[in-house]
Amino acid sequence: MTTNIGTWIGAICTLAMFSFLVKENKVFRTFQHLYVGVAAGYGIVFQWNSIKNVAWDPLTKKGDMLWIVPIILGLLLFTRFIRGYQWISRWPLAFLMGLGAGLSMKAIESDFVRQVQASLVSLTTLDNIIVVVGTVTALAYFYFTLKPSKTLSGASMIGRYVLMMTFGAAFGNAVMGRISLLIGQMQFLFGDWILLIKK
Amino acid sequence: MRALGNVDRRILYVVLILAVLYPLIRPLGLPFRVSDWTLNFYKAVDKMQAGETMLMSIDYSVSGGPDVHPQAQAVFKHALSKKVKVVFVAFVTEGVEFANQMIAVAEKDGGKYGEDFANLGFVPGVEVAISAFAQDILKVYPKDVRGNVTADLPIMKGIKTAGDFKLITEYATGIPGPAEWIRQVQTRYKVPIACGVVTVMGPQNEPYYQSGQIVGLLSGLRSAAEYEIAMKMPGAATAAMDAQSMGHVAIVLFVVLGNIAYLSEKGKKGGR
Repeated sequence: MTTNIGTWIGAICTLAMFSFLVKENKVFRTFQHLYVGVAAGYGIVFQWNSIKNVAWDPLTKKGDMLWIVPIILGLLLFTRFIRGYQWISRWPLAFLMGLGAGLSMKAIESDFVRQVQASLVSLTTLDNIIVVVGTVTALAYFYFTLKPSKTLSGASMIGRYVLMMTFGAAFGNAVMGRISLLIGQMQFLFGDWILLIKK
Repeated sequence: MRALGNVDRRILYVVLILAVLYPLIRPLGLPFRVSDWTLNFYKAVDKMQAGETMLMSIDYSVSGGPDVHPQAQAVFKHALSKKVKVVFVAFVTEGVEFANQMIAVAEKDGGKYGEDFANLGFVPGVEVAISAFAQDILKVYPKDVRGNVTADLPIMKGIKTAGDFKLITEYATGIPGPAEWIRQVQTRYKVPIACGVVTVMGPQNEPYYQSGQIVGLLSGLRSAAEYEIAMKMPGAATAAMDAQSMGHVAIVLFVVLGNIAYLSEKGKKGGR
């Protein structure tokens, strides 16, 4: 076994979380709270460092007064905790929503135009045929404007199977991902901690 | 058959853990092939010239780390072997520590911080931060994680915007992910982007690869193993592939046995 204290702490935390597999217990709950607390503390430190480096230092050390605006907007978000002044927090929120909406407009090119372009392919290979048929029939499944004709119903049914295959692939990947996470923890426990796995 | 259908879930956990653990201790050497997604990611890094700069955005959390971190490790190793300079950034807090871990290993191997690689750290704001970073890197990152002035780092010479990198690689377990980088960086700066994602995100990001918006895609631990094989440097990810295969065999077995038990019980009740 390793003598590294950090690895020991990590291994104890991992085993405590794994104890949930047997049944819900106090050890699991204690370490769960510890995890939430550590994660919150870690996040706050990094967020504060970022505010200090990006906004506070330029404002106080270089006199870059423009940083007052985002700092005040950020502080106004906390007014939602002051009874009677909650409405003020809507201003920075409105600003953030406007900013978010503006930035997402770029999706028209990246997620719409480029994806439509990529679907306009010559039907010369099986892959291309699957892409076109899959896209058109999946869209047909969500087409509710017209009364379904025989053709539309047929396309819609194929679209349903295309969607089911997509969900199947997504589920398969989800399983694979979870196994990878288990492998990662097994490598840590039996490789880094117990030193049973050769590197 | 009824017993098979009502088996205690804890037995299934034990079987799964043993199925995964055995090949980790005694590798079986099961074969696997390198996919086009991975090969094109590898080629994008491999064709970079010594002295050129690559960005690695480490945007994965601790919970998804075992799935994505091996990808980033393999790509970083590849970049260093080509003498490509690497700048790390993070738009997820945990990303900073993952980058520090990789840099610590590289420094032990003789790499020089600030010249061969640097870690600029974390900036909050997700997509907004990525957009601001792409426009003016030095304004968003005035200092790196070690407190150095970013503009003074030799590695940052000539790097002002995202368009100044020869290649951007992004590793994600959620948001921000490939979609945000493509929206805010690729559409505007036309710089090639390659992405590594947690396995669950693989299929939903495949359309970006098919459309050519990203030049390569790594999906989970398997892709990390494929990348190691492409580099001809098998590592921890390759060693984990036997365990992955055996884990899948165990799960398929559970599904088949569960269905046999279900259908058998259904048959006894007269198909109702």
